[in-house]
Amino acid sequence: MGIVFTRLFSSLFGSKEARILVLGLDNAGKTTILYRLQMGEVVSTIPTIGFNVETVQYKNIKFQVWDLGTFLYTCGKFSLVMPGGQTSIRPYWRCYFPNTQAIIYVVDSSDTDRLVVAKEEFHAILEEEELRGAVVLLFANKQDLPGALDDAAITEALELHKIKNRQWAIFKTSAIKGEGLFEGLDWLSNTLKSGGG
Amino acid sequence: MFSLFYGLWKYMLSKMEFHVLILGIDKAGKTTLLEKLKSQYSNLEGLPPDRIVPTVGLNIGRIEVSNTKLVFWDLGGQPGLRSIWEKYYEEAHAVIYVVDAACPSRFEDSKSALEKALQHEDLQGAPLLIIANKQDLEEAVSTDELAQYLDLKKLDERAYTFQAVSAFDGLGIKESVNWLVDAMERSKRTETLRLRAGSSVV
Repeated sequence: MGIVFTRLFSSLFGSKEARILVLGLDNAGKTTILYRLQMGEVVSTIPTIGFNVETVQYKNIKFQVWDLGTFLYTCGKFSLVMPGGQTSIRPYWRCYFPNTQAIIYVVDSSDTDRLVVAKEEFHAILEEEELRGAVVLLFANKQDLPGALDDAAITEALELHKIKNRQWAIFKTSAIKGEGLFEGLDWLSNTLKSGGG
Repeated sequence: MFSLFYGLWKYMLSKMEFHVLILGIDKAGKTTLLEKLKSQYSNLEGLPPDRIVPTVGLNIGRIEVSNTKLVFWDLGGQPGLRSIWEKYYEEAHAVIYVVDAACPSRFEDSKSALEKALQHEDLQGAPLLIIANKQDLEEAVSTDELAQYLDLKKLDERAYTFQAVSAFDGLGIKESVNWLVDAMERSKRTETLRLRAGSSVV
């Protein structure tokens, strides 16, 4: 436990790390992805209350990954957002935005009913002033589920073509099976190294 | 009087950002080209070719050439991803079309993807630079041969050229960029886009 805090501390104040936010609607698979990246195994998760922070070392880049749950506290205050994901969660994410080099946006590719919401939320995030420089990695997650849309379809549904000022990439992933995640991280580490967006 | 207007025009161009689309089928070398452009024209290192993975989205490179700002949009070329190309047409000042000159078996695919792009209304009048890439490979065909293979018709009203390039070792990169800058500055489309954008020139 001490190690976790030491790590967290050094990653908070170290300079070499990239801060990466993992965002997405509730139940998109953010926490599962985080643990996959961290430990390589699947952990059954409960909806994230607050946030999970992990430092993931991958190919000489330390990723400081913030998994911001849907049911978030506001900065410093313990006021819970109502469950259900109905309310916009952005106000609560906002305090984590500064110094972010990349955003991993996770989409439940099988939840076609909520793709419109996922799209709106996504584009609103991109408009945030403090995230202007961040590159965007999309995980079209839950590819293991029947009826999951592929990367091209998610690209279309999320209107990714509207992004013209920063680099983006989309990967088909299955967090449960561990597929696609590291390909995405490869892209991210290359992109961040070559100067980002 | 003429020189006054010419000076003003030059000034406006210098304030402007040119958007250049890098298109081509997968494995043509678009991202390698982008990284080479970045390393030759900006102080960014650019990724070495062996670290470049297939693009599934958008890569961006910004460079400045003699006071002209260029923004390159490099889009993925796999068949499933080509559908998003056209969403970027409207705002593009020019197009670089990259062909793997050492892979004749895919010329047909290359040709049809290019023809489809050129037919699109939103690309009307956009200067076109066709790159016969991978000249570092022995089997690469020349620009003349490539032009024959592609057999492009109805290009007359469009400013275009073929250029032999090796994105790997940098051959032909300077010539390419010089041609592009010149073609875009002369292009009517530049004026059209500038007027449409209106406020973008401050």
